[in-house]
Amino acid sequence: MVTVRNVLGCVVAASLLLSSMVVSASGKDPEDTLVMANFRDLRDLNPHLYGGELFAQNLLFEGLIFLNEEGEPEPWLAESWEVSPDGKVYTFKLREDVTFSDGVRFDAHAAKKNFDAVLDNGARHGWLESVRMMIDIEETGKQSVRVKDDFTLEIEFSAPYYPFIIELGVTRPFRMLSPACFKDGTTKNGVACLSGTGSYVLEMNRVDEYSEFVRNPNYWGESPSIGKIVAKVIPDNQARLMALDNGGIDLLYGLQLISPQAFKQFSEKKGFAGALSGPVSTRMLVLNTTSENLRDVRVRRALQHLTSKELISERIMLGLEAPALTLFSRSIPYADIDLEPYQYDQSAAEKLLDEAGWVKSGQVRSKDGKPLEITLTYDTNKVMERTIAQFLQSEWSKAGVKLNLVGEEEQAHRDRLMAGNFDISFNISWGTPYDPQSFLSGMLKPVYGDYAAQQGLEEKQRIDETILKAVAAVDEDERQAHYTYILETLHREAVYLPLTYERNRAIFNSRVGNVGFNPSQFEIPLQFMTLQ
Amino acid sequence: MPFFDVRDNRSRPDSSFTSSFRLVNMLAYIVRRALIALAALLAISFLSYTLVNFTPADPAEVALRVNDIIPTPEAIEEMRTELGLDDPFLVRYVKWLGNAARLDFGNSFTNRSRSVSGELARAFPYTATLAGMALVFVIGLSLPLGVACAVWKDGLFDRGVRLAVFAGTSMPNYWLAYLLIWLFALKFGVLPSSGTSTLAHYILPAMALSTLYIATYVRLIRNSMLENMKENHVLYARARGLSEKRVILGHVLKNSLQSSMTAIGVGIVRLLSGTVVIENIFAIPGLGRLCVASIFNRDYPTIQAYILVMGAFFVLASFLVDALQCALDPRRKAGTANA
Repeated sequence: MVTVRNVLGCVVAASLLLSSMVVSASGKDPEDTLVMANFRDLRDLNPHLYGGELFAQNLLFEGLIFLNEEGEPEPWLAESWEVSPDGKVYTFKLREDVTFSDGVRFDAHAAKKNFDAVLDNGARHGWLESVRMMIDIEETGKQSVRVKDDFTLEIEFSAPYYPFIIELGVTRPFRMLSPACFKDGTTKNGVACLSGTGSYVLEMNRVDEYSEFVRNPNYWGESPSIGKIVAKVIPDNQARLMALDNGGIDLLYGLQLISPQAFKQFSEKKGFAGALSGPVSTRMLVLNTTSENLRDVRVRRALQHLTSKELISERIMLGLEAPALTLFSRSIPYADIDLEPYQYDQSAAEKLLDEAGWVKSGQVRSKDGKPLEITLTYDTNKVMERTIAQFLQSEWSKAGVKLNLVGEEEQAHRDRLMAGNFDISFNISWGTPYDPQSFLSGMLKPVYGDYAAQQGLEEKQRIDETILKAVAAVDEDERQAHYTYILETLHREAVYLPLTYERNRAIFNSRVGNVGFNPSQFEIPLQFMTLQ
Repeated sequence: MPFFDVRDNRSRPDSSFTSSFRLVNMLAYIVRRALIALAALLAISFLSYTLVNFTPADPAEVALRVNDIIPTPEAIEEMRTELGLDDPFLVRYVKWLGNAARLDFGNSFTNRSRSVSGELARAFPYTATLAGMALVFVIGLSLPLGVACAVWKDGLFDRGVRLAVFAGTSMPNYWLAYLLIWLFALKFGVLPSSGTSTLAHYILPAMALSTLYIATYVRLIRNSMLENMKENHVLYARARGLSEKRVILGHVLKNSLQSSMTAIGVGIVRLLSGTVVIENIFAIPGLGRLCVASIFNRDYPTIQAYILVMGAFFVLASFLVDALQCALDPRRKAGTANA
C-alpha cells in the first residue's frame, strides 16, 4: 500500500540521486574542443541536396573550387581549370593526392559520378542554369561530364555560362561524396554514408541534441587547428545567449542567430568578443508594381524619398548595418555603377504624390475618393522586420500615406509572395557569392515575390531576356552592359526600396581565435579557427 | 451450478449475486467507454488529417521549401507524385488511416529519409523523462503541501504557501524557465542550462514545467481535504478516539485523493503534451520540440501523427481514469457511468 511516508521517501531518494548527478553534469570538454550552438539539427547532410546544415556540409565535403573571403575562386580539389573560347567547355585538372575519409581515391571517375548524381536529380536543381544546360547536352545523347584521364574532367554546356565557377565554389550541390556512399549508383534517394574529402569527419550525431566532428586524420591539406567541434542544438534565442554567457558554448555565428543588441552586449563584455563581416546581402522592401496604389512610379519613388535608411541603420540596427543606397552594394560584382540614390526628402516625396494626383486634405491623402492606403506584409518570426515596419508606418504617415501592417507566420508569408498577393513586402538579396547572378535569375521564375512585383513594368520582358543574356555573355564588357541595364531599370522604376546592407556576425568567448567569414553568410569557416 | 439463486435474491441479495452483478455492470461500462474512446480517436484522426490538408499551402511546395529546394513547377510536380497527392482527399485519408493503424505515418518532410514514427519514438523518451521528473516534483510537493495547508488552515504556513501558489499560477513558465537558468546555471553554476546528457539536465526544466501543476494541485488537494474534513465519517472517526494522524491519513486524505484522481490522471497527459515551450528553452529534443519544429516547417505528416498520438494519450488516460474510478467507487457504476 502506498503511504505518505513511502511517497516522501521516494522524493528524498530521487533528490539525492539527482544531486549526485549534478557533479557529472559539470564535466568540461577537452581543451581542443570548440562548442558552438545552432538552432536546429544537422538534418540530411547529403551534399547533393539542400536539406542539411551548410556549416556541417562544409566541414565534410569539398568541391573543385574554393571561394576565398573576397569571393575570388581558388583551386581546391581542382588544381587548375580552363574555359574554352566559346565559354561552353570547362576542363579541370584534379589533385592527385586526395582520398575520401573512407579510403576511396578521389579522381575524375569519382568526380564524374558526383556530377552525374546531381544531373540524375535535375528537377531539384531548377535554380541552377548550369544543371539545365548540362542536361540539355545529355538529352542529345552525348555525355556532358566526361573523364579525359584519371585526373582530368571535362564539362560541356549547351550555352556559355560564366557563373559556373562561382556555383562550383558554393556548398551545394556540387560537393564530392565518396561513390561508396551512393545508393544504387546515385544520391537522389539518400546516401549510405557521409564520407567526403573534408578536413573533418562526423563522429556522432544525436538528432536534435548535438553532433561531434573530429579532425580527418588523412586530410590531404593543412590539418585544422581545432581537434573537435561540438555543435549543440539550442533552438531558443535567449537560452543560446545564456549558454554562451555561462560557458556552455564558445561560439555563436550568423546574423540570424545574433541580434544587434546581443552583438553589442557580448562585444563589450569582458571575456567575450564579436566579429563583423563586410556587407553580404541587402535588406530591402519590394514594391508590387501591379498593386493598385503602387502602379504609378511616382508613388514608388515618393516612398523611396520618405524612408530614412540612416535612421533605420542607426536606431534600429544599432549601426551594425550600413544604410543601403542601391539594390546591391557597389562591392558586389557588376554592381559598381553610378546610380543616383533616392535621398531622404519629405518635400520631394510630397511633390511626387501631388503630381500623381494624391491630394492631402486630411491625415491621409486621397484620389478619386480613395485613400492612399498601402499594406506592408512581414514575417512575424523576424523581429527586426516588425520594428522597421512600425517605424515606416510612423514616418510615412507624415506625408499622408497610410501604411497597414500585416504580420504572418513564415510559410503563409512565403505563399503570399509567391502568389503576388501583396503591396509591399520585406525581401532580401541572396548575398555573396550568389549576388548578382543567382538573385537576378530568381526573378525569372514565379517562386519569389520579385517575379510578381515586376509584372507591372513595361520592360519586364526585356529585363528577363537581359538576365539570360548576362549569364551567357562571354565578353566581360558585354556582361557588364547587361547588368548595368538591369540594375538601372530596376532602380529607375523604384521596384526595390533598399534599407540596409546586412553584415554577418559572430560572438564568442575569448579562447576562440581567428574568427573569419566566408563569402556566403550561411557558411562558417570553422576549419580556420583556433583555440587558446 | 446456477450462477445465482433468483428466489433468494428477490428477498435479500447474497454476496455472490452482488459481486457478479457489479462485475457485469463494470464490464459493460468499460466496453461502452472503450467504444466511445475508439470513436473519439477516429474523429481526432479525421480532424487532424482534414485541418492539415486544408491549410492554404501546397504540401508538395512545402516539402521542397523546407529542404531549401527552390519550388519550380517541375520540382513541385515531381514531389506531388512522390507524396501521392494526386489521389482524391478521402482516398488519401483512408490510406493514411490504414497505415497509421500500423503506426506507419510516412516520412518526415524535413528529412525525407526519416520515418515519422521513428521520429516520435526517438523524441518520446526525452519527453517522458521530463514529464516523469515533473510528476515526481508535482506529487512530491503538492501532496505534502496541500495536506499541510489543510491541517494548518489559515496559519502562517498556509498563507505563505497560498501566496507561492498564486505566484506559481500567474507566472508564465517560459519566464520562470529563464529565471531558473539565470539563478542556477548563470549565478550559482550548479545546474546545466540545456541538454539531456544526465538526469541533472532535467532538473531545471522539470521545475519550470511542474510549477503550474504543483500550484494547481496544492489548491485542489487543500480544498478537497477541507471539504472532507467536514464529512460525518471524519467526525465519527474522531469520536471513536482515533489519533489525528490516522484521521487525516486514513480518512480525509484517502477520500481527497480519490476525488482528485481525474484531474491528476489527465494532468499526466497534459504534462506530456505541455512540454513545448520548456523543451525549446532547455534544448530537449522531445515531442514538444518536434511538434513546434513541424509546425514551423509545415511538416504535415509529423503534425498529423503528433495530434493523433497525443489525442490517443488523452483518450486512453481519461478511459483509464474512468475505469479506475468505476472500480473504486460503486456509486459511479450505477449512476454516473452513463455520463
